[in-house]
Amino acid sequence: MKAEGGSYWVWIGIALLFRVILICFPTNLNLGSRPEVATPVTSLRRLAEGYWLKQASMSPYAGSMYHGSPLLIYILGPLTVKRIEGKPSHILCSLLFVIADFLTALLIRATGYKLKFTKSQFLKRGNLSKLLESSRKFSAEDIASLVYLWNPFTIATCVGSSTSPLENMMIVLSLYGACSRLAPLAAFGWVIATHLSLYPVILIIPVILILGHGPDSPPVRLLGSSFSTSGYKDDKSSTLPIRGFQTFSWRFVFHFLLWALIWSVYVLVLSAIYLKEFGGLNEMFRKTYGFIISVEDLSPNIGILWYFFAEVFVIFREFFLIVFNMNILFMILPLAIRLSHRPCFLAFVYVVISSMLKSYPSIGDSALYLGLLALFIDEVRDIRFSFFLFCGYIGVSLLSPVMHNLWIWRGTGNANFYFATGIAYACLQTVLVTESVSAMLNHDRTIRKELTASK
Amino acid sequence: MEESEEENGGRKMKSMERRKARLIIRLGEFLISHSVLASVISCAAGIVVLFLLPVLAKKTYISENALMPGSANPMFSQKHVMEADKLVKAITDQIYSTGKELETPRLIAQYMSHLGAEVYYHKFKEETKQFHPFHFFSSIHTSGSVHGNGSTTALGINTVGIIRAPRGDGKESIVMVSPYNSQKLVLDDAVSLGLAYSVFSLLSQATWLAKDIVWVASDSRYGEYVSVDAWLREYHNPSFLSEAVKVDSDTYKMCIDKNMAHNCKNGGDRGSDDFRRAGTMAAGLVLKVTDQKQTNERDSLKIYSEASNGQMPNLDLVNIVYYLAVQRQSFHVKVGIIRSLLSSVFLKTIGKTLEILSEMVGYLNPKWKFGISSADYVEGSATLASSMYTQALGVPTGSHGAFRDYQVDAITLEFSPSFPFQKDLSHSLTIINSGRLIEGVIRSVNNLLEKFHQSFFLYFFTSPDKFISVGVYMIGFALLAAPLPIVASALFSGKFTSEDHGESTVTEKTSNSPASWQWIGAAKVVFTVHIWAIIVLLMPHFISQLPNLTSTMSMLIWISNSTITALFFYMVLGSPYQHSNPQHKWLLLKAVMISATSIGLSLMSIINFATVQIGSLFLVPMCLIAQPLRCSKPVLLTCCNLLFMIIGFPLFAMLIFESLSTEFEGICIGNFWEWTQSLWEWNSATYLYLLVVHLPCWVLFMHILFHP
Repeated sequence: MKAEGGSYWVWIGIALLFRVILICFPTNLNLGSRPEVATPVTSLRRLAEGYWLKQASMSPYAGSMYHGSPLLIYILGPLTVKRIEGKPSHILCSLLFVIADFLTALLIRATGYKLKFTKSQFLKRGNLSKLLESSRKFSAEDIASLVYLWNPFTIATCVGSSTSPLENMMIVLSLYGACSRLAPLAAFGWVIATHLSLYPVILIIPVILILGHGPDSPPVRLLGSSFSTSGYKDDKSSTLPIRGFQTFSWRFVFHFLLWALIWSVYVLVLSAIYLKEFGGLNEMFRKTYGFIISVEDLSPNIGILWYFFAEVFVIFREFFLIVFNMNILFMILPLAIRLSHRPCFLAFVYVVISSMLKSYPSIGDSALYLGLLALFIDEVRDIRFSFFLFCGYIGVSLLSPVMHNLWIWRGTGNANFYFATGIAYACLQTVLVTESVSAMLNHDRTIRKELTASK
Repeated sequence: MEESEEENGGRKMKSMERRKARLIIRLGEFLISHSVLASVISCAAGIVVLFLLPVLAKKTYISENALMPGSANPMFSQKHVMEADKLVKAITDQIYSTGKELETPRLIAQYMSHLGAEVYYHKFKEETKQFHPFHFFSSIHTSGSVHGNGSTTALGINTVGIIRAPRGDGKESIVMVSPYNSQKLVLDDAVSLGLAYSVFSLLSQATWLAKDIVWVASDSRYGEYVSVDAWLREYHNPSFLSEAVKVDSDTYKMCIDKNMAHNCKNGGDRGSDDFRRAGTMAAGLVLKVTDQKQTNERDSLKIYSEASNGQMPNLDLVNIVYYLAVQRQSFHVKVGIIRSLLSSVFLKTIGKTLEILSEMVGYLNPKWKFGISSADYVEGSATLASSMYTQALGVPTGSHGAFRDYQVDAITLEFSPSFPFQKDLSHSLTIINSGRLIEGVIRSVNNLLEKFHQSFFLYFFTSPDKFISVGVYMIGFALLAAPLPIVASALFSGKFTSEDHGESTVTEKTSNSPASWQWIGAAKVVFTVHIWAIIVLLMPHFISQLPNLTSTMSMLIWISNSTITALFFYMVLGSPYQHSNPQHKWLLLKAVMISATSIGLSLMSIINFATVQIGSLFLVPMCLIAQPLRCSKPVLLTCCNLLFMIIGFPLFAMLIFESLSTEFEGICIGNFWEWTQSLWEWNSATYLYLLVVHLPCWVLFMHILFHP
């Protein structure tokens, strides 16, 4: 858990090297065909197919193979056909994903620095030296980036040719941009992430909150006026972070919205140009967002929707589609109100919830939120069931391929076997998100108690 | 486990809300607080259930209605036996006259095409077995006949004939396999060819056929399994000619051309080289005839059904064979049995006790009687032991195992006549009976509308007509394994209660590693041990590539390398004992070890149940009683620990396995190597289990034992 200076970069280097080595033997692993790793939306094999169709001057969306962004085809497509002698086929793409993972790790680290900075500012202001000391013991940002890079889920996603590393990078980029108050960057990350997989659209709330309040300001509302007035009066020299705690700076938010508009128009125009002869944007929306929302592909994955929609009667399908999609939206507002003082953590919660309820989840999503969770390792250190969760994740990730094998290859199991692991996985995620939120709220309570005690 | 976590973390909150705690949590707490008692009871119950399994076995029954076995009168008659006789004579004559076995495929092909079947040859070559530790995860093995330098080795030739069904659409088929050794043909093989041929000749005229019949006369010069496996692979995954194969086919042409030229001259019909198919396979029957000495008056039939990694064919297939063999043809049907157990005093005692118990219960209420005689019990146990052992080994018991990889149900039928075969087969009653049986089975399978799915896939036999289904045998294992999570959570909660008394304020909590994360250190140790185990697992692959090694040498190299790696890990990562707070350290380590083991056991129970059932008899008590020698007070416990230290060692476990199969006769260290090699050559999951679950558990047990 400790990483200092040089050894940190060594570990990063080993992680990247490990990926490159694994990429060179993909035929033995064949991770790209695993339903846990590559979903219909993120599979690189489907992207190659879309590119091939495009080359044959057909719509890349013809035949319900490809369901991603046209821009991805434009960027990754040529790489999928380029072959290097004696090397596996998608090596260039895989190398790109390694770079994406590396950048994501760096961005997580940078975001962690921002969070740490604001936190230590706050703790100094509140004279909470004990908490400050304890928080200094951890370098959460290093741990988070290492957790992201060394997470077996991340490695599998990276090696298994799925485009989720790029999505994850965009989400983290957006968070980083927001934390460092670079509205164009945040807007870019958010727009591209939304463009790639739709669900990050809900991240607009945490991003706006970060831009408005500054990164993870400790609980202003809980602390009440006592802290802000006293702290403010005592020390006028460094007012900038303090101001962030109190006022909501609309300037950044407007910047963000403006930039988001510009970037979306830009992306849409580019897509429209690319798909000019194949039905244009209409076709794109139908085949990407429409595909995601209406859960058309019922092939098994680690989620729960495929099973449900395979079972449900056709006449009820629309109704349940609305129910399941609204499920995510219902949770947005209450969480935003409760956790508004911790927008970064709110972003983490949103990512977990969307990866739990999305139509085509993959372990790439878990890779992202586990990395983000490690950013708050100091706050959620008292999380309950940590060992249970750890064992659960290991158990499910081992059980899932075995059950799949039993169902598909051996024929002695059936769909229920595989779905059982899906349910177990969903339960684990539920436990993780509830426990981490309650740990975070407990932490906030502790801070308040300390503050009142120190007065 | 969940309950424990709930308890350890939320203890403070719980104490406030103890009244409000839900029933399930209170139940969990109760179990945890009495974990020792619960685990002893549960373990004992698990073992008792295991010994009760022969009593709990059910009679087999045919659950698929479409099968309708024995609903039609057999048409197999003396005429067809004459056909068989003709082929057998032709083959034996040819061998005696020319001394060339190479002609056999041609001869068979000739006979096949006389019947109007489509005939072709399938060539394959011997494959060096390769190590695919995770083979069972994916069914399609892409590597195989395509590469390798097969120019020097001769090719095996399977002769395949297909009868197109008059009432079928060519989408389904039934496969008969009759293995024979083309290099050294014996009478038994010839008779089994003749038997298959006679049935084939009957079916070629049958008007009721709705599924095509494929007869594979498989060339077992490289082993029965290899030939059938090669044919099935080609059938399901056609290999498109690549460079390597072209070269091979050239060499093949050179070696086969002489044969073929000869055939043409003879003017007989000959098979083509085109691979033909006949749709999905509904079932496979491997026919064998052995001319064993036996005391029984009736002809006997032995059924082999175990495929790789404890997979079994659908029970219905075995059932129709059993039903027809016993009810119609009065065969004496056998399945595998461990003979040495039949004279076991221990089993006899249990059998006697159960018998007495049954009688006593019968006095109280006649309905409660579970009537099983002592002899039945002993025989049932011996059969069950054999069934478990063959499944646990994960090595198929015959060439029917190759079918299971393609989800085709197949069994081997081994006929042995009551009287030795004479030169003249034409009056042999055995052939008539066997032919009628095979005809009946094929006719039943022919009636199938879907693939076998009604009956069980997971079961053990206790006799040919009694089985134990998965729902019953799972109970024993579940009871045996249940203490693991309970004890793990008890250890966790116990640890935290003792600590929570001391530190209750926030200041304590902000120490370097908070209470709820202390398991990370122990998890690191467990993880390291598993990494080491995986290295040990992969070692034989490299050792086997070294030239000129005897098995003893290989084994010694393996052991020494493993030890060196272990020492290396110690030096690099440091001893796990050096951390502070050793008092709780071993408790934590034990908790994590138990969790890891229970994950491993439950995973493995899905892959191959029988392995785990046997393995958990060692592992579960070992996990539960682990305690440092230094602080264990009762002498009995120490003795138990020392005992498990010895018998828990995987090599010793292997020794027990081996002594079950063969009698103790000169077991040397090289045998272990051969044994392991056969396991990984067959891609048995048992090998994985032994090295990834059992070995790390034992190593961690040793760690705890010698904990300061």
